[in-house]
Amino acid sequence: MNALLADFRRSPVQAALFVVVVWLAVSFIYGPIWSVLKFAFAPDGTPSFAALSELAASRRVQAAIWNTLAVTALSVVTVNLVGLFQVAVLEYLRVPGRGFLRLAYSTPLIFVSVAAATGYGFVYGETGALTRMLQAVWPDLPNDWFSGTFAVVFAHSFLLTSFHFLFLRAAIRRVDYATVEAARSLGAGNLRAFVQVVLPVLLPTIFATTLLVTYKSLGSFAVPAVLGGRRFDMVSELILTLNALRRPDMAAMLSIGLGAAVILCILAMQYVERRGSFVGGSKTPVPIERVRIAHPVTRSAVTALAYLVAAVQLVPIVLVVLFSFAPAKSIGTEVLPTVLTLKNYATVFSQDTAFVPLRNSIVMGVSAIAGGIVISLFVVSLAQRVRGPVSNALDLTFMIPWILPAPFIAIGLILAYDQPNPLVFGETLLGSYWILPIGYAVGAIPMMIRFLRASFLSLDPALGEAAQSLGAPAHYRFARITLPIVAPVIVLISGMTLNGLMSEYSMSAFLFNVNNKPLSIALFEGARSANPEQAAINMVYIVLIMAFSLVTITLADRYGLGSGQEKR
Amino acid sequence: MTIDRRAAALALAAAIAGGAATAEPITVYSPQGEERGIWIGEKAKEAGHDIQILTAGGSELFDRLLAERANPQADVVVGLIDASMATLKSEGLFAAYVPSWAEGLDAIYRDDADGMVHKFWQTPIVLAYNADAMSAEEAPDGWLDLIDPQYAGKYVIGSTAWQTTKSYLVGLLVRFMDENGEITDEGWDFMQTFYDNGIVVDSGDAKTAAFVNGEAVIDLNWFGGVGTFAEAVGYTPVMVDTEGGTPVISEGIAILAGTDQPEAAQAFVDWFGSPEFMAAYAEEFGQVPVHPEAIAMSPESVQANATLLTPQSIDWDAVAPSIDRWIQRIELEIK
Repeated sequence: MNALLADFRRSPVQAALFVVVVWLAVSFIYGPIWSVLKFAFAPDGTPSFAALSELAASRRVQAAIWNTLAVTALSVVTVNLVGLFQVAVLEYLRVPGRGFLRLAYSTPLIFVSVAAATGYGFVYGETGALTRMLQAVWPDLPNDWFSGTFAVVFAHSFLLTSFHFLFLRAAIRRVDYATVEAARSLGAGNLRAFVQVVLPVLLPTIFATTLLVTYKSLGSFAVPAVLGGRRFDMVSELILTLNALRRPDMAAMLSIGLGAAVILCILAMQYVERRGSFVGGSKTPVPIERVRIAHPVTRSAVTALAYLVAAVQLVPIVLVVLFSFAPAKSIGTEVLPTVLTLKNYATVFSQDTAFVPLRNSIVMGVSAIAGGIVISLFVVSLAQRVRGPVSNALDLTFMIPWILPAPFIAIGLILAYDQPNPLVFGETLLGSYWILPIGYAVGAIPMMIRFLRASFLSLDPALGEAAQSLGAPAHYRFARITLPIVAPVIVLISGMTLNGLMSEYSMSAFLFNVNNKPLSIALFEGARSANPEQAAINMVYIVLIMAFSLVTITLADRYGLGSGQEKR
Repeated sequence: MTIDRRAAALALAAAIAGGAATAEPITVYSPQGEERGIWIGEKAKEAGHDIQILTAGGSELFDRLLAERANPQADVVVGLIDASMATLKSEGLFAAYVPSWAEGLDAIYRDDADGMVHKFWQTPIVLAYNADAMSAEEAPDGWLDLIDPQYAGKYVIGSTAWQTTKSYLVGLLVRFMDENGEITDEGWDFMQTFYDNGIVVDSGDAKTAAFVNGEAVIDLNWFGGVGTFAEAVGYTPVMVDTEGGTPVISEGIAILAGTDQPEAAQAFVDWFGSPEFMAAYAEEFGQVPVHPEAIAMSPESVQANATLLTPQSIDWDAVAPSIDRWIQRIELEIK
């Protein structure tokens, strides 16, 4: 405490910043959380569990919880199967065309959220290309064959494998090949060696990816919203419905339930992370080599399956890219476009209505990132400079949104700011332009803090001490020593955050309004429209989002940030 | 962080796009979507009104207006139904303005007490069937017949965020109201069967799809929507003059209390409800106006439509406070 006061006496700018950051924490983290708890447990000021019993009585809520649990349980199995198979194909088995397969299997990194859901809908949906091809063979196939639990689990299976691609591949490379060879010399086949020798080493990582998939699947929003079809809801969607039905108490209560499930996941994840680091091997491991499958039938079958998985992942992307260059009228009438044109791109960049969502997403994303970076920088540097309970508490406070699902934060912001609130000088934020970027920033800050903290820890303290002994004041040292060193991290983390925000759906669906409709909402609305012009514009949006993702992820990977904290 | 929304938004927009609009058009919230909204926009522009129309489902607009109550984004709201307008008015959202065309309106369409909400159209919510796929004998005689197994999967129930859906759901429920104004168990059982027997959709395109692929043949729609919808899908519609009557709703226009451009808003209201524009709209879309002068100027077919169907008597003011609760129950326990 004293150290903090001393720091503020030295630098009034820091003191002023401290006041602002504390105000932001109270207004946009504690305020919303308080509102959610208040509306859930005491909507009229007196404690009440009415919301809970009403939720329990609702058939639709029960169905949504059941759907969410079923989808999550199934997704965990299917995603792990697909992910493990992919990793085995890429790193354990010798399958021809590895470069191509790696490209196909890496697509979940850039094909995410509402963009991916829209892409799947375009291919498998009611008027999708694949649906029409299948109907040519089986005329009895209903239009909505791709819907409900099946569709959501299918999409999850091929969209949530990015964790396997990033982390499991890294883990299998750490397997000591000598152990595999030993097993084989004792007579074990490829499969047995994989199951009994390789898999146990991978287990901690598999457990971690399982929890990540659970976490993602519990909060799944865009995928069921676009692909779920008639009378199928998951919990996140239902929170939005309850909010629309003007039942903030029930929405708050359900978001607490979702939050509790997510927090359990994260606690389990941290437990595993801590234990996982004890897994060792030999001191001088032999790098893993890919084995050849001896049996020709098995070999062909594995190769065929590997390419089938690649096709499932690539076909939606290829079709989206192709049709983004096709005349609108060919959408829904042709299986592959016969004429290519740049007209759709021209429409997006020249027509106001088509360009506005793109501009909104960029403006709000950039504002959220600018605000988030400033706050994160202050919080992290304060925690570094002045150790103590206050700076620790501040640091932890801004990490809270990391364990809260987006609908929880969004409902909190809505409930706290749907009428004039003294915390924000009597303004009403709901319905304003800025409520969405505030939500984006709250959601993005934890990751910013994690990365910035890591880069601050790697700073050589001698540099700062040298500058201090030469008489440089704190802000000068910060500007001339710290900032240049962490600048690349800031650029990268900004790029990656903007990448995520371009297709952010969960927060947007709650907080957007007529002034700031973002790209994800435009995509979602377009996905439900039968108008081919709108579908064409959607294709362009998805291609732009993917291109942007590709650039940021390539850059991040080059600077060693792509797989981030897990690489170590 | 300053909350000077407009200034900051403009500055940012200018930074990104290299320019920004100078004079702001007035914002009009209206459930008249697609071609109707576009047509209104074009005609308003021709008449010299600089407007920006936000179209969305009626209930969505209603929710939005309530949510934005402290920070209104709209200047004028047009086309919400009686019950919605009554609630919004009671929430203090509207400014008083008696339009130039209020004189001559029937008393039930005026707002003599507050001078805020004035009605311009009446819209029956009708039951129509595809006469190319269903004969008059097969067609239901009234709304209560729909739960019959022979109509299973033949009608589409839209989103409760649509005013039309909300209106016929209320129209069905009030038939089961007891003396305390509550719906009987029989009524809720009916509603459950009504939902289980129909095709439930959330988007207009899903509804269209159900008719295009021939599943659905009975359209529960507002009067003017029946013809347009049938034309889009490609069938001959026939409306049923139902037993027990057809719910009739009237739509109103009002200026938001928070408008920063009251003169422009008033000018728009005067123009929109004028018998001339109402008659032009009637000619274009077949919508029945309520202003006697407008009816007189309308095409004969529209004049005939004004008396085509037997109205169901619903006291909208009395049911308005219950509608939210009923819709919640339908959404959470029945749907």
